[in-house]
Amino acid sequence: MAELKFLGYLADKAGSRNQEVLLEKPKRLRDLLPSAFPENDIIILINQKVGNLDSLIQNEDAVVLMPMISGG
Amino acid sequence: MNGYADQLLRVDLSNGKVTKEEISEELKRDFLGGRGFAVKLLWDEVKQVEPLSEKNKIVFSTGPLTGQPLPSAGKMVIASKSPLTGGYGDGNIGTMAAVHLKRAGYDVLVVEGKSQKPAYLLIENEKVTIVPAPELWGKNTFETEDILQGKHGKNSGTLTIGPGGEKQVRFATVMSQKGRAGGRPGMGAVMGSKNLKAIVVKGTGTISSADPNKVRELGKKGYDEIKAKESYDFWIRQGTMQALDFCNENGCLPTYNYREGVFEHSKKMDGSFLEKVKADRKGCPLCNMQCGNIIEDSAGLRSELDYENVGMLGPNIGMKDLRQVAFLNRMADEWGLDTISLGSSIGFLMEASEKGLIPEKVAWGDFEAAQKLIVDIGRGEGLGKLVFNGVRAASETIGKGSHRWAMQVKGLEISAYNCHACPGMALSFGTSPIGAHHKDAWIISWEIATDRFSYGKEKVEKLIELQRLRGGFFESATVCRLPWIEVGFGLQRYPEYMEAVTGTPCRMEDFYRLGDRIYNLMRAYWKREIPQFGRKWDYPPDRWFEEPQAQGKVKGVKLDREKYEQMLSWYYELRGWDENGIPKKETLEKTGLKDVSKELVARNG
Repeated sequence: MAELKFLGYLADKAGSRNQEVLLEKPKRLRDLLPSAFPENDIIILINQKVGNLDSLIQNEDAVVLMPMISGG
Repeated sequence: MNGYADQLLRVDLSNGKVTKEEISEELKRDFLGGRGFAVKLLWDEVKQVEPLSEKNKIVFSTGPLTGQPLPSAGKMVIASKSPLTGGYGDGNIGTMAAVHLKRAGYDVLVVEGKSQKPAYLLIENEKVTIVPAPELWGKNTFETEDILQGKHGKNSGTLTIGPGGEKQVRFATVMSQKGRAGGRPGMGAVMGSKNLKAIVVKGTGTISSADPNKVRELGKKGYDEIKAKESYDFWIRQGTMQALDFCNENGCLPTYNYREGVFEHSKKMDGSFLEKVKADRKGCPLCNMQCGNIIEDSAGLRSELDYENVGMLGPNIGMKDLRQVAFLNRMADEWGLDTISLGSSIGFLMEASEKGLIPEKVAWGDFEAAQKLIVDIGRGEGLGKLVFNGVRAASETIGKGSHRWAMQVKGLEISAYNCHACPGMALSFGTSPIGAHHKDAWIISWEIATDRFSYGKEKVEKLIELQRLRGGFFESATVCRLPWIEVGFGLQRYPEYMEAVTGTPCRMEDFYRLGDRIYNLMRAYWKREIPQFGRKWDYPPDRWFEEPQAQGKVKGVKLDREKYEQMLSWYYELRGWDENGIPKKETLEKTGLKDVSKELVARNG
């Protein structure tokens, strides 16, 4: 299973804060997300390393998607 | 230039003299307003004075965009020589007082001298009165606001101090509208030292602009654009409280006096929890993305929360109940104490107690003890005396290495971001021109989105870009930066606003030049007022360099001192400052500060 965690308004866009996905083969991150998911001003960490929407995700990956908040 | 009232109001509380001075075209062109005006006035007029003496002055300053029908334009800057740090101090505040000041016909109010007895200042357009107010002395900020609005009507703007400001707690703030606070580095204490309990402004004039129709049209488009942003609905639900989850996830939540970056009870106080208990929201004038979250606190009272006060009065002192945090926050607002410095001070005392450096027992997360400490600090009694002057002074008093975990830079307590694993943000705190505060540059998202562990020059360049815009333009215009930084409102709108308001062509590069001029002058101010000022003032506390975090995803990480030194040197190089962090002669001259250069050389050689 790959774990996807969504922070901030991205959880609204994804429909939940946490998702688990069973992957038969590696898939691009964008293919695991709703079609209208924001592409700009977001942070993507895959196993704590910077990734992008085209990064390949496989089982056991921990993915965190966060908005670029700005600390007030 | 249009967009200004073109008058500065000066009130001398010592002799009751009121003067009105024209604001020059040069001042408007070179310093814009808000922070720019404030630092120029302090440079010219407040030299080598004791911050809490009657010779100090306090500046309430608006900018050309203040009060215009534009997004989040209800702000002013309050500035003075800081009694907490000894250097330049300021803070912005969203308040109807900003709008009314311009309507009354003034861009800036300068208060100097000292009233013999407690008083408040009443500004009704042309009429300015110093009103005796013995009955207000000792009242908290909420009571004071109610009394003054009862007397002068709700159609007014009010700035007040609480008992903390009266007592001159060095981190007392100025409050407005029961929850808005400004002036972290002791601006409330400066008012208190002048026996000035409050300022009430009632203005009925029109705020001018070069093209009012265009300004209205741009404003309407701006408000609509903000509401249409993808993250707008979420922002309205959580506001800055979304940062708690973000910081906990990324190991930068201030926890147990910044020892850790994650908090085991964070889910009981994050933005999602807040949504469940939120009763209302409130905000500043002219804003359509209000960030004040109202909840019912543990005493059943309405309390306004945002991320900073929850971070500092929650995880940082081990509190795990949001309603109790809200109660502490309300107490801080009533007493007129800065919630960030207060949370840091309480955290410092709790750690000192844990380490046996003070005899008193103050446990992490002890709600009763935290309440008592707030009262003691506000009164300058008991254990409160130890942190009355902030944590830097407290660590100098108790010694035994406590300066290593007195979480401050330049004497100002660090706002709610743990930087063991955020070197760019550590540099932001290190170089913030008022001491450790996040308003000038917040770079954590950018760090995490690129390479959070990098100490590269690109991070320093990004930091300076943010300082120019946030600390230079937005603080001087004077408008809130949150539409831009929080929901992605277009930065390119601001040159358009400036042109429509002032009637003068404006480009983004103009903001950068302005920001550099203001930064150089703030830096020169520190150097003039503190002759030994220099590089060693620009470091975060030893804790971040020496004690790695023990928990969370950045477990084991700490700052690298050598690499921080390199970043700091790059910062100085990019700013045109010498290796000791002092602006070079040619840098000052290039930014139109030739006289400043001469004075610095004359004083310091």
